[in-house]
Amino acid sequence: MSVLERILNGAPGRFTVVALAALLLVGAVLVNAFAPFVWVGIYTYFCVTLMLVLGLELFMGNSGILNWTYIGFVGIGAYSASILSTDPSLKHMGVPNMYPALVNLHLPVVPALLVGALVAAAVAAVIAWPLMRLSDAVGVITLFATLIVIHVLMTQWDNVTNGPRTFFGVQQFTTIWIATGAAILTLVGTHLFRESSLGLRLRASRDDRFAASAMGVSVVRVRYLTFILSSFVAGLGGGLWAHYITSFSPTSFYVGELFVLLTMLVVGGAGSISGAATGAIIITVLREGLRQVESYLNNSGVISFEVYGLTEVVMAMLLIAMLIWRPTGIVGGSEWRLPLRRKQAAAAPSPEPPAEPVLETEAAEEAK
Amino acid sequence: MLTVNDLHASYGAIKALHGVSLEVEEGELVALLGTNGAGKSTTLKSISGVLRPLAGTVRFLGDEITGRKPEAIVKKGLSLVPEGRDIFGSLTVAENLRLGAFSSYERNRYQEDLEEQFALFPILKERFNQPGGQLSGGEQQQLAIARALMSRPKLLMLDEPSLGLSPALVDQIFALIETLRDRGTTILLVEQNAERALEIADRAYVLKNGLIKFSGTPQQLESELDLASVYFGGEEGMGEVTV
Repeated sequence: MSVLERILNGAPGRFTVVALAALLLVGAVLVNAFAPFVWVGIYTYFCVTLMLVLGLELFMGNSGILNWTYIGFVGIGAYSASILSTDPSLKHMGVPNMYPALVNLHLPVVPALLVGALVAAAVAAVIAWPLMRLSDAVGVITLFATLIVIHVLMTQWDNVTNGPRTFFGVQQFTTIWIATGAAILTLVGTHLFRESSLGLRLRASRDDRFAASAMGVSVVRVRYLTFILSSFVAGLGGGLWAHYITSFSPTSFYVGELFVLLTMLVVGGAGSISGAATGAIIITVLREGLRQVESYLNNSGVISFEVYGLTEVVMAMLLIAMLIWRPTGIVGGSEWRLPLRRKQAAAAPSPEPPAEPVLETEAAEEAK
Repeated sequence: MLTVNDLHASYGAIKALHGVSLEVEEGELVALLGTNGAGKSTTLKSISGVLRPLAGTVRFLGDEITGRKPEAIVKKGLSLVPEGRDIFGSLTVAENLRLGAFSSYERNRYQEDLEEQFALFPILKERFNQPGGQLSGGEQQQLAIARALMSRPKLLMLDEPSLGLSPALVDQIFALIETLRDRGTTILLVEQNAERALEIADRAYVLKNGLIKFSGTPQQLESELDLASVYFGGEEGMGEVTV
């Protein structure tokens, strides 16, 4: 079988991943060669965001559990990597109260990013040990409470994070190429995870926890391992983000930013990689567009008052509308397929009506 | 092969089993009959480890497996096909089958087992890359059984495989169970459709209010017990609320 055939006929989603990766690479080349400088920045930011959304989907999409703490792990990765990679003299200036031991720690950027991701994964390993034993509403509320705890730590522990003030002086390391590369690696990684035995067992537990455990799936274990993996991606993405933005404060790792990621997942469809990627593209374009509209409205004097928060209002309305009318997202739970393959699948109609109407199962999934 | 001794189980405060004892020998097809709420599914859940019994012992192939985790019990070769065709709706047929194979994961065996399931259930080959949720009721039941067979169980426990299927499909499922028995699979079959189950069973137990009320061959059952009384009351205590 040729490579092309294997891509086209492989597991659902393999085609999507290869196509998306190619698209990202072509996009990066084109933007870098022809687009104005601002676009290069937007594209870099988009790639890092895509990586973060995919990391969120890794746990949320496959387990069906809303993961509020995710953005907290992005923050842990961002702070850890930045503290390690920033020059001691700059740190001493920027964060006057920092523990001397931390000030003296200094690593090159790449190991710093990896250590940042490992710190996030280690914290996740400790937190998730009890958390993954909780189920349903209790579990989700506890995850939310954990995000608040992480946030309070970030804003109050000024010996480490500079408190609520801005942490600055981080090197600009994340170029368009690094961001694109990271996004492509995450794309391939999340796909391989989905098809792996761990991913499959986790998806089975999302469909029906009790049936899965009757099949021999240890639900707590598969959730626990995936949560750690997802937090590792969060930490790495956070580090890359910090080394692009170069100065940030704890507000970047709280509910507001999480909702941007969540909106991407909900709009695209949380059940698949295609969904996560579609959502990330649409929301990024929309956000940039709305920002332009907002500044145009404010600068041109078309209206007599200043407009603030247009982006947030539109995002919120979009989120609500999607949840009401299309809770499975634009892509709708399954991966993109070639039109030909979709036709083949449709050409084999079932002799009997399905046991449950498809809409009902979708609604039931949402209810979980 | 399987020996259940004085099994007690409850859902919170409600006791569902009051000392169930039964035995399944290698190669047998044993039917477990009874009304709704008699404790049939509870018995299977307690054996398979999904439900932790309060008291009593379950021995399988000489080892005590009482209260072990379901995954450990599946690995020992005891598979349950749960009631209501618990297949994974968003997973493809292929993925459902792969899940069944995890407990005894060997790559070369996987392909071989898959071919075997295709021979038994040709429809699954056609639907291989479709989500399980898009299959019809009968197809889902076939998938549930095929998935359990992927783990090469030494004992297969089927919980109401004919539930909610059209008469033609019920015939198909029972024919399949016969085929499996003829191939030497040991089966513990829970059924509400007692007549059909007795047609193919070697032995039968009748469960009533969490207790075994009868055990013997189908012929004995038919001569000693009025089947209708098992299902619609008439004997002592039959009018009571069943749990």
